[in-house]
Amino acid sequence: MPMKKLDLPKERTFVGPALVWKRVIAFMVDMLIINIVVLFPFRGLFEDILPKDYSFSEAYRFLSSSANYAGFLTSVSLVMSILVIMYFYLMERKMSQTIGKMLMKIYVADASENASSRSTGDNKDLKPWQLLARNIVFIPLFPFVLLWVLDPLFMFFTKTNQRLSEVLSKTKVVERYSLEQ
Amino acid sequence: MKQEFRWGYAIFVLLLLSILGFISVGILSLFAGIDVESLTGNVAIIPIEGVIVGSENDFLFESAAVSKDIIELVEKADENANIKAIILEINSPGGSAVASEEIANAVKKTNKTTVALIREAGASGAYWIASASDHIIASRVSITGSIGVIASYLEFPGFLEEYNVTYRRLVSGKYKDIGSPLKEMTPEEEEIFQKNLDLIGDYFAGEVAKNRNMSKKDVDKIANGLFYLGVQAKELGLVDELGGKDEAVAYIERREGIKAEVVEYKTEKGLLEILTGVFSKQSFFVGKGIGSSLLDRKSVSSLSITT
Repeated sequence: MPMKKLDLPKERTFVGPALVWKRVIAFMVDMLIINIVVLFPFRGLFEDILPKDYSFSEAYRFLSSSANYAGFLTSVSLVMSILVIMYFYLMERKMSQTIGKMLMKIYVADASENASSRSTGDNKDLKPWQLLARNIVFIPLFPFVLLWVLDPLFMFFTKTNQRLSEVLSKTKVVERYSLEQ
Repeated sequence: MKQEFRWGYAIFVLLLLSILGFISVGILSLFAGIDVESLTGNVAIIPIEGVIVGSENDFLFESAAVSKDIIELVEKADENANIKAIILEINSPGGSAVASEEIANAVKKTNKTTVALIREAGASGAYWIASASDHIIASRVSITGSIGVIASYLEFPGFLEEYNVTYRRLVSGKYKDIGSPLKEMTPEEEEIFQKNLDLIGDYFAGEVAKNRNMSKKDVDKIANGLFYLGVQAKELGLVDELGGKDEAVAYIERREGIKAEVVEYKTEKGLLEILTGVFSKQSFFVGKGIGSSLLDRKSVSSLSITT
């Protein structure tokens, strides 16, 4: 009597930390899109207000000479950062992914101990504060600016490739790995 | 989640944020409260356009160069270390003698190179201001000069008499109502006025002579109120060069040894001021309509001394 074949899946998948290079490319794609689409209206404004053909020291002297000017630049930067954070928040809240992450097939997932979705990469349990906290690095004010260096560096020292703000927000970026049988 | 929906949602988010970006830039520009244009560049260009007045209320409804605003701009440019030179872009027939002198003094006080660029007109008080700068450039056909003072008013005691209206004169000082349009000016009063006008005119000519490094005698010869075309003014020594903005920039580049980056300094009006201005003008024209039905506007005037 011939043995009946079992209908087993052809491949096994599991969810693990996303590779760093994929995260870097996803981030670059996102920043490119944000720069082209979201921050486009600010380009004209910056062309008007930023000193042209200035060396770094000249620009620094110029900026520090006017409190009004520095304050105005900070306000503009703050508005821009809010738009950037909104991009990441709205995309990750609804789809667990940004456009860059969609292209690189990586996801944001809950990394807290009681997360029910750790293995699937589904972010339905992600709370708004987690999504905001993981993007806090975009705020151009002290002390958040310190994260510009610390935050990505942290990725190289954690097994799960998490940024510092991801550790704090208890989130992680994952991808599905498959093992062919 | 379906792939089509994901892309659709992504496009929706990008569109939404892009619109928010445009709105934010609009709001920032309106409420920033900072004239960002004045913070870049190394040559400040300050327009002096219209009749020169001491305050905005003096000349509400046509373009006016308010001395207070212009002095503020000149001082701001002077305080900015990046600004190496100031161009006064003049297009004015003159105006208040006091306001003109105030601006001329502010121009003289600056430590920067100053260039007066006379466009269509730089006459009378506007020329007084121009003379205070280091270099004057005018077009060949600009109207300039007109060094002199004028005072005028309309008298209408005859008109009052016709309507059986009496001017009852009650004064504690003999000359308290000098220049009143309600009575005829006496020869004595006229002489006093003329003397004062001559004094102002003489002072004006003296200032021009000092500013232009000319002898007072030479200036007196041409200080007869006559206007000169740019080309004539050049021959008389009232302007240094014939030309326009390019020549002004070239002069500054030569003198300062810089690559000029011109930036316009102008008085920024906030949203509230713009709206207030619109409302006040509308109110004025409503009032004017009502007023003109009651009174012939031509018959109402008062004495003013202008350059």
